[in-house]
Amino acid sequence: MTAAAPLEVQSLTKHFPIGSAVRRAHVHAVDDVTFELRPGTITALVGESGSGKSTVARLLAHLDEPSSGAVLFEGSDVSHVRRRRDVLRYRSQVQIIFQDPFGSLNPVKTVRHHVERPLRIHRVVPSNQVEQRVHELLRTVGLVPPEDVAAKYPHELSGGQRQRVSIARALAVEPKVILADEPISMLDVSIRIGILNLMARLKEEHGIAFLYVTHDLASARYVADDILVMYAGQIVERGPIEDVLSEPLHPYTRLLLDAVPDPATKTDAQEIDLRKGDTSAAVDPSEGCRFRARCPLAIEICSQTTPQLVEARPRHAARCHVTAPAS
Amino acid sequence: MSQLDPTLDPALDLSLEAPRRIRRGFHVPGWLALLLSNTKSRLGLAMVGLVVVVAVIAPWISVADPNGFSLLAARQAPSWNHLFGTTDQGSDIFSQVVIGARRSLLLGFFAAALATSTAAVLGITAALLGGLVDDVVNVLINIFLVIPPIPLLVVMSGYVQDHGMTTMIVVLALVLWAFEARILRAQALSLKSRDFVDAARASGESTARIVFGELVPNMISRIAAAFVLVFYIALLVDAGLEFLGLADVSKTSWGVTLYWAQTNSTVLQGEWWPFFFPGAALAFTVLGLVLLLAGIDEFTNPRLRSEHKPHRSRLRMLFGGRLATREEGVS
Ligand SMILES: Nc1ncnc2c1ncn2[C@@H]1O[C@H](COP(=O)(O)OP(=O)(O)OP(=O)(O)O)[C@@H](O)[C@H]1O
Ligand code: SF4
Ligand SMILES: [Mg+2]
Repeated sequence: MTAAAPLEVQSLTKHFPIGSAVRRAHVHAVDDVTFELRPGTITALVGESGSGKSTVARLLAHLDEPSSGAVLFEGSDVSHVRRRRDVLRYRSQVQIIFQDPFGSLNPVKTVRHHVERPLRIHRVVPSNQVEQRVHELLRTVGLVPPEDVAAKYPHELSGGQRQRVSIARALAVEPKVILADEPISMLDVSIRIGILNLMARLKEEHGIAFLYVTHDLASARYVADDILVMYAGQIVERGPIEDVLSEPLHPYTRLLLDAVPDPATKTDAQEIDLRKGDTSAAVDPSEGCRFRARCPLAIEICSQTTPQLVEARPRHAARCHVTAPAS
Repeated sequence: MSQLDPTLDPALDLSLEAPRRIRRGFHVPGWLALLLSNTKSRLGLAMVGLVVVVAVIAPWISVADPNGFSLLAARQAPSWNHLFGTTDQGSDIFSQVVIGARRSLLLGFFAAALATSTAAVLGITAALLGGLVDDVVNVLINIFLVIPPIPLLVVMSGYVQDHGMTTMIVVLALVLWAFEARILRAQALSLKSRDFVDAARASGESTARIVFGELVPNMISRIAAAFVLVFYIALLVDAGLEFLGLADVSKTSWGVTLYWAQTNSTVLQGEWWPFFFPGAALAFTVLGLVLLLAGIDEFTNPRLRSEHKPHRSRLRMLFGGRLATREEGVS
């Protein structure tokens, strides 16, 4: 075993029923997703809207229960644990940061409340040191002077500051894993880089394993070490970020890269907007590649059998019959 | 002011409200300041406050035994001796009204407290837990909602032998909680979809703490509104039952005074005061509570509230998906 992965995901699957009882269908929001998060590594999870990124994060945060598959934390499956003691133990190691900085803090509670609750629930420090630790945490995420910030209410802070409070709250339990679900997508462009730098610093200094959910390839390239590309509930490509972005295997990843506007040629003919999504491919999917309707390389077998993730290059895998054929 | 990493976060929102104060140097709790800042709730609070004061000092200002019996003093119009006149039996109506205020307030208060706490605990827990718990609570709510309250009360008053105040409080709470539970459940459902509830769960908060520590503080004004509403409905229903003679008519209360006035057809004999004074006391109290409620509703309504939130989140909350679709259409 190399540097033990604290969090391992095996064939994770989540189906949501939709429609009426008469015309019941299932969204395969997450289908057969396997990956691991390693200490001191930021793993980007990219994909268009509706591809299942948030669902993955929520399953890992133990907020939803998977339909099947396993979430292994330090080797043991935690996806179905119910006992409060066990759930708490997991929560003290795996934390989540939400996308919406306006919704993720309780409007009637102060910053202090948000940061000190995890300290008290998990008894991270003795009661008489809670105040001091709250201030340390606020300083760590760049909210100074902490004495002033701690007394403020969320509506007195900007979006970026609130997101820092969320990060401080997640850090309070000294977790090994932080799941960040689009932490910057609702922030002003000017302050995004600050949050990304903070994540990079926390990864270095605390050896935290990050899952960085985003639909912004540029920010993923800036901060992440590994990348997972999701399409219609499945991981279609996976690998070290430099390899994947410089030599993408999957046609969908290529499309994504082409979509990043090129100022030199000003071509946006192929532009696809990651914020828009086409989720129909994940509703009661039939056998075959889910990307085939949009794929320029599709061949006959694509509509007959579902491709598997195949390591076509070292540590670099894709789910495609043509570019990563099973040998 | 704090230096919140100025290079990265230039957008410090300083539009925070100053600590509320009504007079220089005189601090009042936030909720009271809020009530006093609204004309309606300020008036309502003053009216209800007056009734409370009267009820508290009732034993000292009631000049006579409210059930005193004196044929010599019977059927007197209001005078300096008997401010509100006397009844058929010669009892002093002023004394009956001020003592009766105690029953009305106690009954209203405890019925409201019982109904509202039941509604809040059941409604919010159901919304939060969902699934089977929610289904069961929903069925309960719907059963109690379809039962017409007044006929139920009449029937129950007929069956229940004990007409004491406790019985009345329980009965009133039983017929009034469901309406509030439905409203509070709906509000909790919309709050639940906000990320801070999931964030609290991810922090490890227990369900009870999420209900009482995270959700309830966000619903205080709605819960207060529920409380006031049940309060005055309970007052009215109780007086109504007494007026119809469906309660214990030997005690002292506004409804009972009205009942005896009706039974002895005093108005036909030109005696208006046995009706007017208890009726006016009831109307005054209920009006005060209605004004209080109107004030609370005004600042519960987000459109009327002056709380500062960055415009983007407010717009998103109001228009939800529509705004998002429009943005996408442009890009
Ligand atoms: N609670 C739910 N009930 C039913 N369907 C759901 C639920 N949660 C998610 N879905 C569906 O699952 C799919 C994946 O949703 P998810 O939120 O994970 O996507 P996402 O990749 O995070 O998208 P976005 O970029 O918009 O956040 C979508 O089709 C969505 O409609
Ligand atoms: S499997 Fe076929 S349809 Fe799917 S991405 Fe590869 S080539 Fe395209
Ligand atoms: Mg999402």
